[in-house]
Parts: sequence; structure tokens; C-alpha cells
Amino acid sequence: MLAIEADSLSKTYTSGLLRRERVEALAGFSLAVESGQIFSLLGPNGAGKTTFIKILLSLTHPTTGRASIAGIPLPNVGIKSRIGYLPESHRYPGYLTGAQVLSFFGKLSGVDTGVLAQRIPSLLELVGMTQWRGMKVKKYSKGMMQRLGLAQALINDPEILFLDEPTDGVDPLGRKEIREILKELKRKGKTIFLNSHLLSEVELISDRVAILDKGKLLKTGTVDELTTGGTNYLIGIVGTVPEVALAESRALVLRLSTANGALTADCPTTAELNKVIDLLRRHGVEITSVVQQRNSLEESFISLIKREVAP
Amino acid sequence: MKLLTLVLGTGRELSAKATLYVLAGISTLILLGAAATLSRSTTDEGSTLLLFGNPAGPPATPEVFSGMVNSMEAAFAGGLFAGVVLFGMFATAGVLPDALERGTVDLYLSKPIARWELLAGKYCGSVLAMFVNIIYFIGFLWIIVGVRVGIWNMNLLLAGLMMTFAFACLFAIVSLFGVLTRNMAISIIVGFVYLFVISEVLQNREEGLYHLSTNEIYRGILDGLYYVFPQIPAMQHNVLKLVAGNGIEWRPFVQSFLSSTGILALAAWILGRKDF
Repeated sequence: MLAIEADSLSKTYTSGLLRRERVEALAGFSLAVESGQIFSLLGPNGAGKTTFIKILLSLTHPTTGRASIAGIPLPNVGIKSRIGYLPESHRYPGYLTGAQVLSFFGKLSGVDTGVLAQRIPSLLELVGMTQWRGMKVKKYSKGMMQRLGLAQALINDPEILFLDEPTDGVDPLGRKEIREILKELKRKGKTIFLNSHLLSEVELISDRVAILDKGKLLKTGTVDELTTGGTNYLIGIVGTVPEVALAESRALVLRLSTANGALTADCPTTAELNKVIDLLRRHGVEITSVVQQRNSLEESFISLIKREVAP
Repeated sequence: MKLLTLVLGTGRELSAKATLYVLAGISTLILLGAAATLSRSTTDEGSTLLLFGNPAGPPATPEVFSGMVNSMEAAFAGGLFAGVVLFGMFATAGVLPDALERGTVDLYLSKPIARWELLAGKYCGSVLAMFVNIIYFIGFLWIIVGVRVGIWNMNLLLAGLMMTFAFACLFAIVSLFGVLTRNMAISIIVGFVYLFVISEVLQNREEGLYHLSTNEIYRGILDGLYYVFPQIPAMQHNVLKLVAGNGIEWRPFVQSFLSSTGILALAAWILGRKDF
């Protein structure tokens, strides 16, 4: 079942005198997110990630296109009782304590007072905020606010969770804790839609990733799918490669280097790779392994974005 | 339940600000002053209102005495009306712009509440906070005058409701501009300009703007504007008349109710179309 579906969404913001200045935040963006996944949306600043979430939450109206959550077409106020949201920049009433913030937003979510009385302490414990439950929010640090924000997003026990930069301002230990919480939520069958700049974290927890730039979907797939397909091959060898073999190999590939008993060859296609292997074998080089090198998600992301920017 | 949460949350938000406490503090000082200074002396010649134990006038018959006390209460009510509107606008003008700020509106609208509910909750919460302040002053003034002077003027209590209503009408305009601009300063300025310039000029159009032209269309537009917007000065005038026991004309209240409802509906429509 699809948790989130977007079909040809576009959003153009207008501003200025007579609304003649136009910024296209989303341009025919389509996406489908299966239930029970951790799905991450990546993109540079201004790519349209937050606009997409805001359309799903009916904070912003799409210019064209349709979207649905759990099969229910948007906009729909009722569906919001089944979702949780942690905005990128959130401002809680500073005069309330952490527990009071959860109570207030829980009631706004339609959660019964009796249920809240049980859920608030357990959520505060989950995000490690029990000892600060009675402190006024205005005294909270950025990291504490993020933890409270996560608890707030979970206050209605949502099926789908939208998190915009959830680990922003959180220390490494806290980030690990949040990752564990998200994994546990996934185990419970929740769908988690994540916007994050921290690609190393996204790589660690996401089932699927979509890369967005200038309002367009560039690529979508699992982390494995996005990080494989590189053109670098690590060729394990015994001994050294004769100079003449190296020179001939360099003519066949984009880049070639040797280090620690291995050759690294940048081959645009497998044909070039096979030619290099044939050449090395002709020169009597003993090959022990050929491994396609995996890009990090960050490398794949940068490579994709650069390809888009290139004329 | 959700709307009630919004209303009570807004009341709590306002109670965290100093402005309403200043108004309550001023009210308390006036009430203490009234309790300390007002009393009544009754002789065979009639009743006399005493201020600091000194007669404020010659002995009067019960009817005349009652009229005197009612006029005094009307003066109190007039001062309160101005105070409520001024302090009330300062205290509440930021409620909607704050709620619509980035980071706050996202939280509200991600919950299962409609945009009009957010507006209604914030609006009613602000009006409720002002109502509590007004009733605090009016209620205790009514009790003090009743106990110390023996005149229980029910119209004074009714005036508290009317003052709240007049504030609610003005706050509808402030709310509209709060939604339009999301800026507290602009909302306050518009509120003041409306209160002290536009509503006064329209109220007294026959003595002022009418003289600029005899054109019927021009005068019709002025009349139209007068009836389209809440009639704050006319309501104030009627509140004072009511407390003084001189009857009341309901027309400005009915027209102001209709125009304020229209203004709030416009604010809700604009809020519904906004992107955040």
C-alpha cells in the first residue's frame, strides 16, 4: 500500500509588484512511497524538499498536480490525525514546559486526555527528556528542542511521520539515539519520510532515497541502487605491473592508478574493463580480484547534482 | 475540544504577557480607590454621596441620587472603554501574527484543525482574555458601588458585555490585518487609525466629509462605509447612555455584529488561500 503518492505536482511562488517574480519550487514532481519504509528526500538548498512536505501537509497549495496520503486525496484535514510532523524550524510556546507542549499539541491532534497522561511520560522517556519535562521550553537548547519536537510529532501515535532535518543541532550521541528511535518506529510499521542534509545518516537508515533538484526528481531507489554503478574498479594483482602494461592500460581508461598491490581503473563501460584485464593478462599479470567500487551516498548525490548543473 | 484547546491556549499565551497584567493592575488601583473613597450618607433630607467622607453634593431624593451614582459609573465605564480598547489592542494584536509565523503555523496546521478553526480559536481566546479583564473591573466596581453606596446598577454589568463586544468588533479588523500582513505593528497601526480616525470621521461624516461635496454618490459611499465597518464610537456612546440609565439604541451593535462577521469571514477566506 502506498503511504504517500504525488502525481505531477508543481508549485510556483509569485512575489513582487503585480506578482511578476516567479520561482518554480516544484516542476511536475511525482513520487510514491510504500508504507512501512524509511524514505529520504535529498536535494540541495532550494530544491523543493520542504515545499513538497508542506504540500502534503496542506500548508502550501500546489499550483497543479495531485497528492494523497494513505490513499486519501489532499487537502484533507482529517488525515492529519494520522500523521506526525517535525518542521525544520519549530517554535514552541516558550512559557510552556516540555510536558505542557506535548499536552497542548496532543489535544490539538484530538488525543484523549487520559491517553495523553500515559503517553507523554513514555514519549519524554523515549526521547531522553524526562528530567527536563518541567522546565520552560524557552530554556531548552537546540538539541533539547529537537528531541521535544520528535516527541511532539509522535504524540498522536501517527502512521506516517514527516521529519524535516530531525537531527539538526543534535550531538552525535543524540543523533544515534534518534536513528535508533526511527528504526524502532519502522519496526512497528510506521512510515517515515525524512528530509535531511546529513547524507551519512540518511545512508544508515533509509530504505529508499529520492534526489530532488530544482523541483525535479533526478533519481529514486534504494541506497544500494544509488551508490553502486560507479565506474571505478579495484583490480587486485600479485606483484607489480610492468611499465609498458601500465602505459597501454592508461590509453584504454579514463584514469588509472596503482597502490598497495592493486590497480584502480576508471572504466566508463565493462568493455574497457575487459580490455584492461586482457591487456594485463597478456603481460603476465596475475589478477586476484575485480571489485566495482561503491560510491558513498554523498558522492552519488554530488555527482548527480553536478551532472544536472553541467551545461 | 480542539477549538477549546486553541481558545484556552490563547488565553494562556496572553496571560504570559505583561500587558494584560498592567491593565488588571490599573483596574485594581482604581477599584481600591473606589472602595476607599466611596460611601453614602442617608438623612431625612435625602442621600448624599460621600467622597473621602466629604459630601459630593447636597442631599438628594432616591431617584436623583441613583441618577448621580449611575452617571459616576458611566464615567468609570467610559474610562474603562478607552482603556480596554487601547490596552486590549496592544495585548492581543500579536496573537495572530505570532501564530502565523514560520515554525509556529507549521505546527498548528499539521494538526487536524482547519485554518478557520485556528483563526476562530485565536480570535475567541483573545476576546475571552479581554472579557475576563473587563468583568474583573466591572464586576468588582458593581459590587463596591452596591455595597458602599447601595445602588445595584445591573446596566453596569450589561455594559461589560457590550464593551467586550465592541472590543471584539475592533479586534476583527486587527485580525484581518494580522492575517493579511502577519505583522503585529501594522495590525496595531491599522487598529488605531481605524479607531481614532476612520471610525470618528465616518461617525461624524454629516458634520465633516459631507461638506466636501454635495454629490449624492459621494455621500452614498460615505454612508456605505459607515455601515460596512464596525461603529465603535456609536457603541461607546450607547454604553455610556445605558450605564447612566438613559436607554440604548441597538442598531450600532447589530450593524457592527454583521460587519465584524463579514470581516472575520474575509480573514478566514484569505487565511485559507495563504501558502506557509
